[in-house]
Amino acid sequence: MADFLMPLHDLFFWVSEMPSSIAIRESLYVSPYLTVSHVVSMCIFAGLIVMMDLRLLGVGNMRTPFSEVQRRLFPWQMLGMGMSSVTGLTLAFADPMRFYVNIFFWTKMLVMVLAGINAMAFHFITYNSVVKWDSAANTPFGARLSGALSIVMWAVVIVSGRLIPYNWFQNS
Amino acid sequence: MLLPFFNWLNGLPVSQAIGGSIWIYPLVQAIHLVFLALFAGAILMVDLRLLGVTLRSQSVAQVARDARPWLIAGFLGMVCTGIPQLMQNASREYYSEYFWYKMYLIAFGLIFTLTVRRKVSQGTESTPASKLVGLVSILVWGSVVVNARLIGLFT
Repeated sequence: MADFLMPLHDLFFWVSEMPSSIAIRESLYVSPYLTVSHVVSMCIFAGLIVMMDLRLLGVGNMRTPFSEVQRRLFPWQMLGMGMSSVTGLTLAFADPMRFYVNIFFWTKMLVMVLAGINAMAFHFITYNSVVKWDSAANTPFGARLSGALSIVMWAVVIVSGRLIPYNWFQNS
Repeated sequence: MLLPFFNWLNGLPVSQAIGGSIWIYPLVQAIHLVFLALFAGAILMVDLRLLGVTLRSQSVAQVARDARPWLIAGFLGMVCTGIPQLMQNASREYYSEYFWYKMYLIAFGLIFTLTVRRKVSQGTESTPASKLVGLVSILVWGSVVVNARLIGLFT
């Protein structure tokens, strides 16, 4: 293992030895029901993100001004994000060493960070000019780019998340 | 009664081919979830409008009309990725209570969406009736998701 990964490995290992982590890991029902809740939260979060992205692409929800879609769906998207984060972090907390060695887990984490950067970039750059295109028939290139990147990246997050149990590339 | 059909489905060369590949089944499962996000978004946006808690400056009918193509696309995508999963697993899923709960709930959800919810979605404002319809819709489709995930976890 590369030396620079040691602190990360030690952190994951330290968590895996905590009594609360062991307790969740050894319970028969907590992790399955957390998984179910994680999928339900994903529906709220990713579903409403996609609805906003389609509006950004100029192909969906065009009867509503973009700022309206963004402002009204935002609290619900944040509710979905909060639920996904709590259920997801608890799942990772319960079995950190399983995720530490999993390529799909790290793909998911990396692409989530990139999707976050994309959302921030949109918010601080393209969204500043929203008054010019809020109800226009076409959205500007920057908006379409952010919308497309967001759909692709969240789809990759969902796919790699679902593939975590299939550890084809694990050799240890 | 349906067991012979499920066994026949499971025995088809296509089903065996899906089961024989290590990556087809997982990828189909994953894409099923991507379509689920699309479907859930289209359902939820309209249901939240029916409940009167979001997008209130637009009429219910406007929001519903905008959501419809994505709702249909999401549903068809899930059918297309759901059937191969069933084919590969038919003989096992026949004995899963969650699989049957899911099917009954989908049947109810479809009928409900195409009749009552469709009717209510033609209105302008959120009413007590539309609130009830939005709530039922969220609960029914939410239960479909819960039971669907339980098939894989407890079968």
